[in-house]
Amino acid sequence: MAQRVGAGDGPLNTPAWLRWMWVVPAVFLVALLGVPITTVLQRSFDVGNSFEIAPQLSIAFSAAGQALLSTFLAVCIGLPIAGVLSTYSFKGRALTQAIITVPFVLPTVVIALAFRELLGSILVPGLLLVVIAHTYINLAVIVRIVGATWQQLDPRTVIVARSLGASPFRAFMTVTFPQLRASLASAASVVFIFCFTSLGVVLVLGDSSTRTLESQILRETSLLLDFPTAAITAILQLAMVSFVLLLGARASLKRTAKGAILRFSSLSPWASPSQRRYVLFIATTACLIVLIPLLSLAYGSLHSSQGWTLEWWSSLTSVDSGTTRLGSPLGAIATSFKYALITGVIAGTVGACAAVGVLTHRLGRAVALIALAPLGVSAATLGLGLMLAFGRPPLDLRGSDLLLPIAHSIVAVPLVIAVVLPTLLTTDRRFAIAASSLGASLTRAFLTAYGPILRIVMIAAAGLAACVSLGEFGAASFLTRSGAPTVPVQIIRLLQRPGEQSFGVACALAMVLVLGTIALVAAIDALGNRKRTR
Amino acid sequence: MPSVLSKICLTIAVSSSLLLAACGSSQQAAGPATVTLLTHDSFVVSQALIDQLKTETGITLKITTAGDAGAMVAGAVLASGAPSADAMFGIDNTLLTKAVDARVFSPYTSKNLDSVIPALQKDTGDGVVTPIDYGDVCINIDDAWFAKNKLAKPTSLDQLVDPAYKDLLVVEDPATSSPGLAFMLATIAKYGDQWTKYWDKLNQNGVKVSGSWTDAYESAFSSTGGTYPLVVSYATSPPAEIVYAENPKPTKPTTSVLTDGCYRQVEFAGVLRGTQNEQAAQQVVDWLLSEGVQADVPLSMFVFPARTNTPLPEVFTKFAAKVPRPSQLPASGVNANLKKWLSEWGQVMGR
Repeated sequence: MAQRVGAGDGPLNTPAWLRWMWVVPAVFLVALLGVPITTVLQRSFDVGNSFEIAPQLSIAFSAAGQALLSTFLAVCIGLPIAGVLSTYSFKGRALTQAIITVPFVLPTVVIALAFRELLGSILVPGLLLVVIAHTYINLAVIVRIVGATWQQLDPRTVIVARSLGASPFRAFMTVTFPQLRASLASAASVVFIFCFTSLGVVLVLGDSSTRTLESQILRETSLLLDFPTAAITAILQLAMVSFVLLLGARASLKRTAKGAILRFSSLSPWASPSQRRYVLFIATTACLIVLIPLLSLAYGSLHSSQGWTLEWWSSLTSVDSGTTRLGSPLGAIATSFKYALITGVIAGTVGACAAVGVLTHRLGRAVALIALAPLGVSAATLGLGLMLAFGRPPLDLRGSDLLLPIAHSIVAVPLVIAVVLPTLLTTDRRFAIAASSLGASLTRAFLTAYGPILRIVMIAAAGLAACVSLGEFGAASFLTRSGAPTVPVQIIRLLQRPGEQSFGVACALAMVLVLGTIALVAAIDALGNRKRTR
Repeated sequence: MPSVLSKICLTIAVSSSLLLAACGSSQQAAGPATVTLLTHDSFVVSQALIDQLKTETGITLKITTAGDAGAMVAGAVLASGAPSADAMFGIDNTLLTKAVDARVFSPYTSKNLDSVIPALQKDTGDGVVTPIDYGDVCINIDDAWFAKNKLAKPTSLDQLVDPAYKDLLVVEDPATSSPGLAFMLATIAKYGDQWTKYWDKLNQNGVKVSGSWTDAYESAFSSTGGTYPLVVSYATSPPAEIVYAENPKPTKPTTSVLTDGCYRQVEFAGVLRGTQNEQAAQQVVDWLLSEGVQADVPLSMFVFPARTNTPLPEVFTKFAAKVPRPSQLPASGVNANLKKWLSEWGQVMGR
């Protein structure tokens, strides 16, 4: 489609304060990512300078194949779900959307355990089991990132295409898909990277063929204490991930052909009986896919060798009280939700500033791209780097409630950007130009065009960030910390000791995480929808 | 729509005030009588003992955790000389050499070192750490399974390559699991140069490899619902099965321990080089070896106290396996050969 006047690639004509938005993520990245990573890499080469690289390359190659397969499956299954959730309004839509998000948020070790319980007797650990688990975990990424854009599309374009005789599939391919390409590229590259750098899943469900660079870094760091090799592996991983990000960015920053977008499509209530069946089928299947593996956790939390029991749930308040396990599992729940809230605020703000920066300043694009880098930074490297930079005198943040949310925010910011940016880019900037030509101030014009959408996607993105915080374990496990442990840490601790009680309470805690996530996501979605209809 | 603007400003204000608050609180925390103890996630001690330390010495103990023992030591090595804490507990004999070589510790052994059982007294990394507790990694047996299938329980590692015991053992990957590593070291200590041949035979006899202890013990072990009646775990897992059971607690465990081919893990504490609280940190190392903490160690962490004549709880004296001759390899040898051994193990097992 020919480029329209005013739909070009250059920065928008915007007020000065908006043009400086890119500074927020830039400062965040330099201070909280750049400093720790350079510190840890520098220290790693201080303690030694011999390393090997050949085995890493072959691991990188096989991990890329595994990630490609996982991503393909996640897109195939995720796309229809995203479509149903973002184009139809139906009873239980919010709940379905919340349920889909759960696997992404649970600690991977818990998911791996659930899968072992479910499929362990049918499948041996290996590529297939890893790919299934990765697809399961990353469905949410496809559904939420693509869904965020899909909701903004004008449903009338599809209706027009259908009324002109296009089949539903053809209407999708010619009308909807081109408009989704940006966010799909963004989502798929994120999923690829998650699978490429996966750790917990490959440790529990994998074999020698499913090693990742991340699992190799963990082995070199905390088992062999071979820091130079770990550092080289970490750099290799970052380089490969950056390459994928560049590819994804090329695809997603390319301006997609736009129709005249009505910014808030109200979800069309399901109309024909066949559509009704389709929606029902997809939504039910999606919920079943997500919930069935989790049932083994629910069963574990309510069952013992003696039969059904409520003891694990009732001992949530009392297990390990009076010891340095720092309070009851209930305390861990409070800690986790507090950190999730702080992470949502920090990551939501930084990520949204980065996305707005892309629109408003030449440098914004580079900054947003670099802000995706944490996807490729090894959890071990990040955790150790934060500890070296901010976990000891002179700057010791461990006592505050900030170090862990900072680590979680670094991990979550790329996701926030991945949600917010494609939506902003698909928004028609002619609204701003029109408003401005009608005499609105520059600030007013920008907010007219982007404000409402920004508000919706920011809430969604901050919610996703909060969920990441709820489930994050990788970097957190390397980060020295004091004070109450988070729920994932507590679950892992319980799982690492024998006894029915340990397993039962761990399952109960995992269920709390599941229910908490569903509640959090449903609440955020409800907030977004309320804003939308106002 | 100015409300968006005001909200963005509000969020920025909130986050920056959080940051300021954080800087403020970190300055207050640095009192002279506060000792920060760096430890792993499995560390547990009764709160009463920490309170007692405060009343007796005035020291406020702050505990920071840093993942598993490996992650903790990795952090300590990188921060060597400018530590993130004053003292460290929980480094074991497989990791000790690396930390000593990196000069993580300041020279100090507890003044009560002579109260430690003689076998452990010499383990001080040349005068920088004090042994606090020990435990053995052993194969656990599901007694009920062997009774039901009318098969004699194995009594030695040799028997495990016997076809009669085919498809019965689950072990952890030594590259990703601490008990898995200890078991591999036990086979090296026992079979010497022939150890890879032993693993080759184990492999042919259907040994299953899990990625983690949790996966092996909580899902593959027949006692917890899996199909493998033999699992690499700890000599103290049977008493832990009782302590962490459903109420009312059972009177005896349903699992037992194969006391051949056990590997001894010793956990140490030391003062971190570069601490500003050298003396107080030394007192904390002494406290870890004190009668009170040592008596607390069994039921908190399911390991044996290093101090002689420490009374053991009944569940330990009754059900924890006493291993007559546990294996141990010299720490320096483990350090020098670990990488080679792991890759040899990987080749044999196809992992």
